[in-house]
Amino acid sequence: MVQDHASDRDTKQGDLFLGAYGISKTYSDGTQALKRVDFEIRHGEIVGLLGENGAGKTTLTKILSGLLPPTEGRVDSPRGRVRFANPREAMRFGIGMVHQHFALVGPFTATENVVLSHERPFTPIRLGKTRERLETLMAESGLHVPLDVPIEKLAVGEQQRVEILKVMSRDVDLLILDEPTSVLTPLEVDELFDLLRRLRAQDKSIILITHKLKEVQSITDRIVVLRHGELVGDVRTAEATTERLARLMVGQALDGADGAAGAVELRDEELPIRREREDAGATGEVVLRVKNLVSRGNTGEIAVEGVSFDVHAGEIFGIAGVEGNGQSELVECLTGLRVPTQGEATIGGTDILGKDPREIYKLGVAHIPEDRWEVGLVLPFTLAENTILGIHRRKQFRRRLPILHRGSIQKHVEELMEQFEIQAAGTNAPTKSLSGGNQQKLIVGRELAKDPAVIIAAQPTRGLDVASAKYIRDLLVDMRNRQRAVLLVSADLDEVLARSDRVAIMFEGKFMTVCKPSDLDRETVGMLMGGVTSKEVCVEQP
Amino acid sequence: MSNHELSATTVKSAVRKAFLGLTPAAESLLAAAVGLILGAIIMWISGFDPLAAYAALLKGGFASTYALATAAARATPLLLTGLTFAICARAGMFNIGAEGQLYMGALAAVTVAYFTLPPGLHLIVGILFAMAAGALWSLIPVLLRVTRGVNEVISTIMFNWISHFLAFYLVARVLVDPRVSSRTFRVPITARFPILIRGTDLSYGIFAAVAFAIVIYIVLWHTPTGYEVRAAGFNPRAARYGGIKSKRTMVLAFVLGGISAGLAGATMSMGTPPSYAVLGGLSQIANLGFNGMVVAMVGRNHPIGMLFSALLFGGLAAGARQMQMTAGVPTDMVRIVQGIIVIAMAVPELTRMFRIFRLRWPRLSGRRAES
Repeated sequence: MVQDHASDRDTKQGDLFLGAYGISKTYSDGTQALKRVDFEIRHGEIVGLLGENGAGKTTLTKILSGLLPPTEGRVDSPRGRVRFANPREAMRFGIGMVHQHFALVGPFTATENVVLSHERPFTPIRLGKTRERLETLMAESGLHVPLDVPIEKLAVGEQQRVEILKVMSRDVDLLILDEPTSVLTPLEVDELFDLLRRLRAQDKSIILITHKLKEVQSITDRIVVLRHGELVGDVRTAEATTERLARLMVGQALDGADGAAGAVELRDEELPIRREREDAGATGEVVLRVKNLVSRGNTGEIAVEGVSFDVHAGEIFGIAGVEGNGQSELVECLTGLRVPTQGEATIGGTDILGKDPREIYKLGVAHIPEDRWEVGLVLPFTLAENTILGIHRRKQFRRRLPILHRGSIQKHVEELMEQFEIQAAGTNAPTKSLSGGNQQKLIVGRELAKDPAVIIAAQPTRGLDVASAKYIRDLLVDMRNRQRAVLLVSADLDEVLARSDRVAIMFEGKFMTVCKPSDLDRETVGMLMGGVTSKEVCVEQP
Repeated sequence: MSNHELSATTVKSAVRKAFLGLTPAAESLLAAAVGLILGAIIMWISGFDPLAAYAALLKGGFASTYALATAAARATPLLLTGLTFAICARAGMFNIGAEGQLYMGALAAVTVAYFTLPPGLHLIVGILFAMAAGALWSLIPVLLRVTRGVNEVISTIMFNWISHFLAFYLVARVLVDPRVSSRTFRVPITARFPILIRGTDLSYGIFAAVAFAIVIYIVLWHTPTGYEVRAAGFNPRAARYGGIKSKRTMVLAFVLGGISAGLAGATMSMGTPPSYAVLGGLSQIANLGFNGMVVAMVGRNHPIGMLFSALLFGGLAAGARQMQMTAGVPTDMVRIVQGIIVIAMAVPELTRMFRIFRLRWPRLSGRRAES
């Protein structure tokens, strides 16, 4: 199956290139990422792979490109069954993937990067020859990049083209692009799409992973929609309406029915929760106020673009949206981990922007960070040590001398373990030995035990088992009922819609809308998450 | 996992069980044993009698009061320079600069000869001089790190060279004894560490070193400040989230480390009979900083563990001469053993680092892929 694909060059547009049938994938931690998915790709075809976070898009393409073996199912080609032990074999078969994060060496030129990707041990490096080949390839494909400029001097769009060229130089027939437009400016997106169309004209096959509805409609021939690991739609782009795609992407499958039908109603348990307070009266004071916040992301791009909202006491304000649309940066600005470029944010009237995390905590903010391993916990620490992170200077944990009081820390841990049902081998167990759910309960417990006025929870239930997730959601609702202000940022749409009193949908750094969840239907939500504003939605003034 | 990976996984997990299942102390003991056994094999290949060599080593390093006292004397500066490395390692940095900081401390202590003070007080002033010199010498690299982002490994190595030649100059020109030009003038009797066991090099400096180790242990594990240092060392992002200013913990760690290395210098120039001076060529203090890093490594960067590893390496140093005299095995053989121990220590550490790498950047290692 290797090396001989050049002889297959006489294939025509429309012939099958690769087919995956009955693909299931279960990860070693038990998460089922794909459930019996069928997927075909033909020569000269651009297929859009659409779905929310966690829908299984990346897993599917990783299986196609040899990065992961499927748990079940088979991958076929007209030349017979295909099995890749590693990406290199897939590459030799003619499949190449361009990842969202580029694998390029900054100080090297494009040519050097390509050479690097081809390099085998103990073979001479032929820069000149590679450069010639790349020039031919650029002339053929119409994909142009400066070959002799260090990568770090290039714009992101150019870097991406280098990455594509790198993959193309391996003679690929199927190009897989993972969220290629998320880092590009609109002009660069147009250029990329022009390039993809030219490649299609040369009978290349392209898979485009995305969550942006407009884009997928403008470039693809066919759209495959995944939801929670299941294939819910496989439609010709010409026949697909934005509404239908949105529904397919976020719609709730009816029990027993085929998800592809796309019927959408919230199940009872997912309906917005009843407010215990509603009988009692109106919402409380504004606790957290954010005005026109602008912030850059890690690579200097504008990540948050003028966001304004208020969170009241006794309210859960949800921010929904596909990850990577500025939610992380927004949360970091509000918790002292990032300095915004402009805007205002106050807690109880006190300005918080640019303050360091400790000062912000002192104003009564609890922060459940989205990355519990890298930010929320010091993994090598014991359970006890992690329960005082951030509050370790409190008097209650100290003796008269500045010596930590083991006894009171012990008491604190035991209380947390009991109150928040944390299962662990002991109070001095290493934190990394805890399960994900218990680690998260530990963070949530520590933060809620601060008796905060504002709780900022980012992706609080991501990757957790159902029971732990429900437990944590209930805790947030409980805090809401006890007149705390809760800011809930989550890519889990069901979670945000069901638990929030008001919800904002974030797309490319902006709020598409701020609404009561009951005023939104899932189709609208799906469109807003995909960056499409079609019909009138309730823009409520904060 | 694909097929070829499966078999690799089985092998890996077996290796992991063999190495990573061990407690840190057991790991260190195993490494020491590996070092001694491989050392024996090398001796045997080289035509020496390993048993006789080790018998002599044991006799000279551990088997008598005199041997133990000499071992403890050799261990004193090693424990302190080891602490320099350990404190900074706990704070997440590699401080290679103990060597230079020790030179500065040793020479600063000698300057107490310029004035007279009552006994005891004179000693304390000398210790403070040495600590201050070590701390100041340590401060420059860490300030460069926190203000300019200069990698501390590079800067401390460069500072070692600066202090190396500066020390040569000071010994030969500035602090030189007008009567004996091969060394600095001697530390006056009022400022010397008293000898603990007559006829040996073991001085009260050992108490200073052990006390300092205990203080460091308490600071790191029992104070909020030490908690911050360790949190920032393990995970700077989580520390920042927890309101910890990691620049401050870095500076603190380096200052404490410098104090430790300075004190090590003081125990040498103010506590080593018969000269009580810094010798030309820095012969009695050279390499103590680097050997301290080995002590820190085997002692697992833990002050209490390092009490034992310092004594082990002190004993090896003390026994090496006996080994050369009675078994005819060159002292260099001890350095070979020491080298093998370091490599054996590094194996599980490297495996662990690789594991942390995979934990931190799952995307790169292709595990835990999400949608």
